[in-house]
Amino acid sequence: MYKYSKTDKQIVKARTKQFKNQVFRRIKGKLSEEEFKPLRLMNGLYLQLHAYMLRVAIPYGELSSNQLKKLAEIAKKYDKGYGHFTTRQNIQFNWPKLTDVPEILSELAEVEMHAIQTSGNCIRNLSSDHLAGIIKNEVEDPRPWCEIIRKWSTFHPEFSFLPRKFKIAVTGCDEDRAAIKVHDIGLKLINKNDRIGFEVYVGGGQGRSPYIAKKLRNFLKKGDLLNYLEAILSTYNELGRRDNIYKARIKILINELGIEKFKNKVEEKFKKFSNQELIIKKEDIKKIFSYFQLPKLNKKKGIVKNNKDPKYNIWLKQNVIKHKISGYSIVLISLKPLGKPPGDADAKQMKGIAKISDEYSFGEIRVTHEQNLVLPHIENKNLFLVWKKLRNLDISTPNIGLITDTICCPGMDYCALATARSIPISQKISNHFRNIENQKKIGDLKIKISGCINACGHHHVGNIGILGLDKNGAESYQITLGGSSKNDASIGQIVGPSFSEGNLLGAIEKIINLYKKNKKKNEDFLSVFRRIGISEFKKYLYDNTS
Amino acid sequence: MIILHKRETIENKYSRIDDQSTIKDIDNYTLINIYLLEKYRNEIVKKKLKVGLELFSDDNFELTEKNLSIFSMVQINFKTFKDGRPFSFAKKLRKQLDFKNEIRAGGHILPDQYIFLLRSGFDSVEIKKEDKDIWIEILDMDDGLYYQPD
Amino acid sequence: MAKKLKGDFFFLTANDLQTGAVLFFTKKGWLCESSDAIKIPRERIEHYEKIARKYEDDCRIISPFFVELDESGGIKSLRDKIRNKGITFKLKNV
Repeated sequence: MYKYSKTDKQIVKARTKQFKNQVFRRIKGKLSEEEFKPLRLMNGLYLQLHAYMLRVAIPYGELSSNQLKKLAEIAKKYDKGYGHFTTRQNIQFNWPKLTDVPEILSELAEVEMHAIQTSGNCIRNLSSDHLAGIIKNEVEDPRPWCEIIRKWSTFHPEFSFLPRKFKIAVTGCDEDRAAIKVHDIGLKLINKNDRIGFEVYVGGGQGRSPYIAKKLRNFLKKGDLLNYLEAILSTYNELGRRDNIYKARIKILINELGIEKFKNKVEEKFKKFSNQELIIKKEDIKKIFSYFQLPKLNKKKGIVKNNKDPKYNIWLKQNVIKHKISGYSIVLISLKPLGKPPGDADAKQMKGIAKISDEYSFGEIRVTHEQNLVLPHIENKNLFLVWKKLRNLDISTPNIGLITDTICCPGMDYCALATARSIPISQKISNHFRNIENQKKIGDLKIKISGCINACGHHHVGNIGILGLDKNGAESYQITLGGSSKNDASIGQIVGPSFSEGNLLGAIEKIINLYKKNKKKNEDFLSVFRRIGISEFKKYLYDNTS
Repeated sequence: MIILHKRETIENKYSRIDDQSTIKDIDNYTLINIYLLEKYRNEIVKKKLKVGLELFSDDNFELTEKNLSIFSMVQINFKTFKDGRPFSFAKKLRKQLDFKNEIRAGGHILPDQYIFLLRSGFDSVEIKKEDKDIWIEILDMDDGLYYQPD
Repeated sequence: MAKKLKGDFFFLTANDLQTGAVLFFTKKGWLCESSDAIKIPRERIEHYEKIARKYEDDCRIISPFFVELDESGGIKSLRDKIRNKGITFKLKNV
């Protein structure tokens, strides 16, 4: 994985020093809260319901074991002993003190980490495919491109005060595990006539008005990537709405302007403003790629074997994927165990995972945008050992991709913006469907839960989406069906009136029953939904109940 | 108010006039707005005056190379420091319109934006006298390391 | 702050600038507990707004606002209740 250069280290150090100065000025009253707020947001520091919240960047989801150990230490020393992994592959600490944050940032800088631009109206953390570089059928590893874009977007003088936040995702596969079509810019590496370049998508997003991104360019040459991104961002910075924060994202601009008009403006800027120095040279590309080479994985014949322990076998089937190098596997660690808030890991678990990674996965760990973790290179002969160690840490739940592998925002338990709680809903679902055999019969099913219309839980692209609302002071949950964040991206459709917290589980159960009744061999929930349509679900859910 | 150019305070040669002014009130180093520009552009050109143009971050104004030639200075005022349009505008002035004269930032700007302003093409800032020290302190904290080319 | 306020009685609440902790305004000043919070009638809102502003200017608190109370004098909305009592689920294994 990428290693900081001297320049990288100095830049992060300088930023930490700058933020320390800003905190000092704030406490002394030389900066008002109104002036300080955008500055602290640019360092990932929010004020939430109970306390400050610090969002630490995990660039495109890549972590070293040293970094994970440091996150564990920070959780213990400055927080309440745990962290929360997010739908953008970052980690959040929910209880830091403002006065501790400069010290936290210094400690993070020691392991080449920071909280820069994880919030605020600027270009946010790049997100990518958690299987980048280790899965077959990849056109090209997207991570080096993420690193190139990360550098370009950090402290960009023109783009640090955008109309609103800006999110970019990159995928290197046809199968989209980075949800690029619901990002402000989505980039897909493609092979066209033996040349690799980018398909460029813009204007995707969730939140109050969900949109699937539109294609801006069929093929963009690699060398032109940064100049083209500059043209898009510049157009957005100039024309994006600033009168209403709910209408300020690029998706609204494109919807109002039309994609053709937007494209013309971008192409004009691209022609007029292209900076020779931003053209990415072949030798620079080669250098960045050298950081993302695989560790020494000798091809082996070791196949993945079952074991006497049935629990291990279940885990093996559900949480382990074949690595592109024979003899190795990719282990997915579910952070959705029964009874615990989804996406959380405590300090002991983080430390434990780091240790396992050191021993068995070359010190590498990844974060998925579905709030789980990955050990990317496990030799097959070590799988059983790894499973035992994960089990000792209570993180061997064999539910990756199943109904209890929910994606869930922090919701009203933590978030000042929320209109309902989401974590208890996730726990209810988790408890209700706890039986693994039943879960496997249900098959692949993504339930995504958001505690308000800002959709941080990505409910719009859940196969079953749940949106928590406030109905006359009581929590009420609206269900959407048929969303997808993959290549066949679609926004879920509202099935009907919302459900109280007490009735929600019953509704989900009914939806699952209807699906099971209609399921043909090899069909999953999404396929059944797309085949039979929403009206069947409407009828089944609401007839006899009204 | 003072004009800060990097670390130095420079003389503010420009003075504003109101919208009721006539061409007689416009001389070298007068700071005019879009309204006065559109009213008196031809006369300013005829008189071969060098004036300053004052814009605001939410102004919708198309500048061309032709109409820029009369300006020895362009000042862009931030209505709020959160409005980042002036950064793009300054870049446009420099790169597309090849404007070589002074670009000045004013209005509601924070010292924390100083480096971004200088790197986007601004030369100077109009600030309160009592804020000079903090602006320079922040400038001094910068070690000149950036990811983007100039 | 007082815009769009519904209800007859309120607590004044804020967050501690340095720690981020939730605070309520009591006779003894700002405390983490709401049990001794001053019950503020609607007509006194302006007065307490001024008090809040002073503490803000002194860099003691941020984001002050008024929490609506119900008929029994308890906190009305669920969000404000959660803000007062804390998260509603167990962090450790059930």
